[in-house]
Amino acid sequence: MRLEILLTALLFFGGTILSGYALRRVLKLQGEGFLFSAVSGTMLWWALMEVILVPMTMRFASFQSFVYLYGAAVLLLCVAGLFCWKDIVEDARLFCADWKKYVTPGHVVALALIAYQLWFIHHHMYLEWDDTYYVNLANEAVYSDKIYWVYPETGAMADFDKRYVLSLWPIFYAWLSKLIGVIPTIMAHTILPWLMIPLAYMVYGLLGRRLFPKDAGLRGMFLAFAVMMHLFMSGEHTAGLTFLSITPWVGKGLLATVLIPMLLFCVLRTADGQGQAGKSGSFGDWLLLGITGLGGCLLSSMGIMLSPLFVGAAVFLAAVQKRSVPYLLKGAAACVPCVLLGIYYIYLTR
Amino acid sequence: MQDFFEIARTDFLATFEGAWMFPLLMAASALILWREKDWVRKLLLGALPLLFLLLYWCPLTGMVFMKLLGENVYWRILWLILLAATVPYSFCLLAGSLRGYARYGVLAAGLLAIGLCGTPLLASTEFQASTNVYKIPQNVVAVCDLLPGNIHALVSNRLMPYIRMYDPTITLEYGRNILVYNGREANGPQAELYLATQSEEIDVSFVAPLAKSEGCTFLVFSNSRTYDGDWEDYGYREYGRTEEFTIFADTDYEEGQDTRKWEE
Repeated sequence: MRLEILLTALLFFGGTILSGYALRRVLKLQGEGFLFSAVSGTMLWWALMEVILVPMTMRFASFQSFVYLYGAAVLLLCVAGLFCWKDIVEDARLFCADWKKYVTPGHVVALALIAYQLWFIHHHMYLEWDDTYYVNLANEAVYSDKIYWVYPETGAMADFDKRYVLSLWPIFYAWLSKLIGVIPTIMAHTILPWLMIPLAYMVYGLLGRRLFPKDAGLRGMFLAFAVMMHLFMSGEHTAGLTFLSITPWVGKGLLATVLIPMLLFCVLRTADGQGQAGKSGSFGDWLLLGITGLGGCLLSSMGIMLSPLFVGAAVFLAAVQKRSVPYLLKGAAACVPCVLLGIYYIYLTR
Repeated sequence: MQDFFEIARTDFLATFEGAWMFPLLMAASALILWREKDWVRKLLLGALPLLFLLLYWCPLTGMVFMKLLGENVYWRILWLILLAATVPYSFCLLAGSLRGYARYGVLAAGLLAIGLCGTPLLASTEFQASTNVYKIPQNVVAVCDLLPGNIHALVSNRLMPYIRMYDPTITLEYGRNILVYNGREANGPQAELYLATQSEEIDVSFVAPLAKSEGCTFLVFSNSRTYDGDWEDYGYREYGRTEEFTIFADTDYEEGQDTRKWEE
């Protein structure tokens, strides 16, 4: 299983980093490093999947055709990323020159805690009642070649449950399963934690870098405290942070632990003038915010509502502080994909 | 209105009860509002959590969200409060004004404070050592290893949630929501079969003909079940047995036969 985990991690992080570089080039977000590329590339993958998957599901497309189409789209992004090799080499050079900055007591504590969390989760199981629906949704896609037209709990042919049709996150790991050649149950329970837990902490790494651009020590401490919060949060079955440990393969858990913190990072980029790039609120920043919100819609139908709610409230506060109506309008524009899907969701479920 | 506060209170307690995370969040927010000089950060990291708390407890907004999200999952509004950003940022604000070993002191004290205010999640009794790469109960794997693929089965409630995670080619006669699904009450032969197989002593003369007519080629029951009647009289034979379950197969079943139901 180690080989499968390694292959999936290489595919996922390699692909998202390359895609992130391509996105950065288009959005003109230079000098941001590998971490930013990996996370923004992931958001792009998820947003792109939402755009491709929803119409394909509605038109009864086969899972195999989705695998080809989405795989081709991702491959194109990766190839586009390869054309940014100068940026990649520059970031690698900077990383090699500055690697000592990442060895602070905070970083060491954070890495030790993350390593323990990964080790523990790899050797334990948490029986999630809803897996019988979500994980089997992915299994059915792979085995019956149908996207969501089989009731996952029994295997019965059925009209889909409209509550989830816009947020088919399990199809993402069904896609990964198809590429790697393992059953989605193993992909979800055994492999995905190795991708999603580091991804969540990468977002906190980005937040730390945004908040403390000139102090590596504080960045490390911020990350260590953030990891600790995930390991000691109360409300095992309800608090968002706990989902990263108990069910890191469930879309709504990723919404709480990856997506919403990423939205905060994006809003900070638009509002904060002290960031690494020195600029704030560029067109690229707003577009990244919109892409992230759309990615959240794939993870969970909750994301269709919670993402614009979070962005709306955060942008509203920042706009009040800036006394800027254009800022507020740009924030509203970034929420448009979620709002459109929200209207469609209401249309489907009423 | 009373219902709203009851739901909001229950959900809030489910998230924060039994720990000191909420006071820690309040202290962190207060510290950020007091010490942070950058207004954007003051608002996004200190005031935003308070705004979401206000939206959560305010009946006007709360009832709108409850309507949109659903009463059962109103607690998810609390996910918008980014504790893992606010609390760490407040500790870092404290540490930012210090140098040298004093910083390490804040690091240690902060980690200790979070550890003491929270509950150790990985110590939860719901984590079990995994015994297989699927991370499903071993008794499910034991049954699935005996069952052939591409069959239609009626299985014990203990197996039902996991069996298709091991072998998706098996179709099940009923799932978790057999009696009520999306608020609709279900009836018909599947519901009747479900109810009949819940009793300690299973009435074979009722269950077997109905199961057979519904196309269930395999039946799996806990070994603790007793039977009123002989399965062989009704066209089923014992096919296999594990430590916890007994498997019966339709006598007309031939090895390799595809008996899945509903599949195209």
